[in-house]
Amino acid sequence: MTEMFSTLFGQNEAQGPPGSSSLGFGAGKPQPPLPQNQVSMVGQLPPQLGDEGAAMRKPAAMNEPFYLLRELPVGNELTGNTNLITHYNLEHAYNKFCGKKVKEKLSNFLPELPGMIDCPGTQDGSSLRSLIDKPPVCGNSFSPLTGALLTGFRLHTGPLPEQYRLMHIQPPKKKSKHKHKHHRPQDPLPQETPSDSDPKKKKKKRDDDPDRKKKKKDKKKKKNRHSPDHPGLAGSQPNSNSLR
Amino acid sequence: MAEKFDNLEEHLEKFIENIRQLGIIVSDFQPSSQAGLNQKLNFMISGLQDIEKCRQQLHEINVPLEVFEYIDQGRNPQLYTKECLERALDRNEQVKGKIDTMTKFKSLLISELGKVFPEEMSKYKAIHGEDAPS
Repeated sequence: MTEMFSTLFGQNEAQGPPGSSSLGFGAGKPQPPLPQNQVSMVGQLPPQLGDEGAAMRKPAAMNEPFYLLRELPVGNELTGNTNLITHYNLEHAYNKFCGKKVKEKLSNFLPELPGMIDCPGTQDGSSLRSLIDKPPVCGNSFSPLTGALLTGFRLHTGPLPEQYRLMHIQPPKKKSKHKHKHHRPQDPLPQETPSDSDPKKKKKKRDDDPDRKKKKKDKKKKKNRHSPDHPGLAGSQPNSNSLR
Repeated sequence: MAEKFDNLEEHLEKFIENIRQLGIIVSDFQPSSQAGLNQKLNFMISGLQDIEKCRQQLHEINVPLEVFEYIDQGRNPQLYTKECLERALDRNEQVKGKIDTMTKFKSLLISELGKVFPEEMSKYKAIHGEDAPS
């Protein structure tokens, strides 16, 4: 085990490189020849593979008995050890996009945009990719159309043919969605209403019944008050007490 | 930065609205609407001029090409942002897991080496310190 360790760290100075005052694979220094009985280590890479700069290393004299000892990375370096979403203040964006379900269709992102925008752009040649692949010929500045140029835009009267008229129709999905949204809560209601409405009606009837009774009582009282045989407060007090 | 986008957004909305109105005029064209059509055509040109001006303000803005793919497929481009954030968090967690595992392995290795090679490890600790950064 000790032999392995010595080979790993190059403890034996006799086995070390001739210039053991500095690290073995310093910049511009040739790789020392390995003894035949020593196993080539992964750490003993050629300078171009394992080298991170001579400035990062301490002289070997300081690192004795270790060979190929490197400086450890600085602790405050930004790595995946820290939550990078929090580090870059993206919690709000994360909660916004990953907390809720983002709607799939483009029309949900651009609800005000007219036309059938949910269809793939490759179908009608309106894809953004085609703009990159075949950029439009541009460079000329936009100039307003004068009277002579506008003569080319004189149109025939009448409606457009069906195939072109469809271009200006709003996607029906939007409307149907709204309808569905409205209908969904409404649809179950009528199904539930027969069962739910009956008790409500019954309740209402039940609720109404005491009101009617009260009204009848009030009418009777009024009649009694107006009547010459009015019993007065004495007759009503027991009733109020009984209620209490 | 947001002002630049707001400006572009405003011009684009105006342009789209103008195009929509142009489409309505054209869809059932009447001879009396020729003047309106001409006006809308010139509005369209001025709208393009305004958008062209916005282009100069947004030179340094880079848009990932993958977003274009989402839009071309008729998908919400916010899904791209969502997937990016989820992927970033996923990778972040993976890397953190690796770092934590390697940190545990390092401390275990140092303690075990310290048992077998106490002298060498004391020298090692003298160089790197007792609480070497992981």
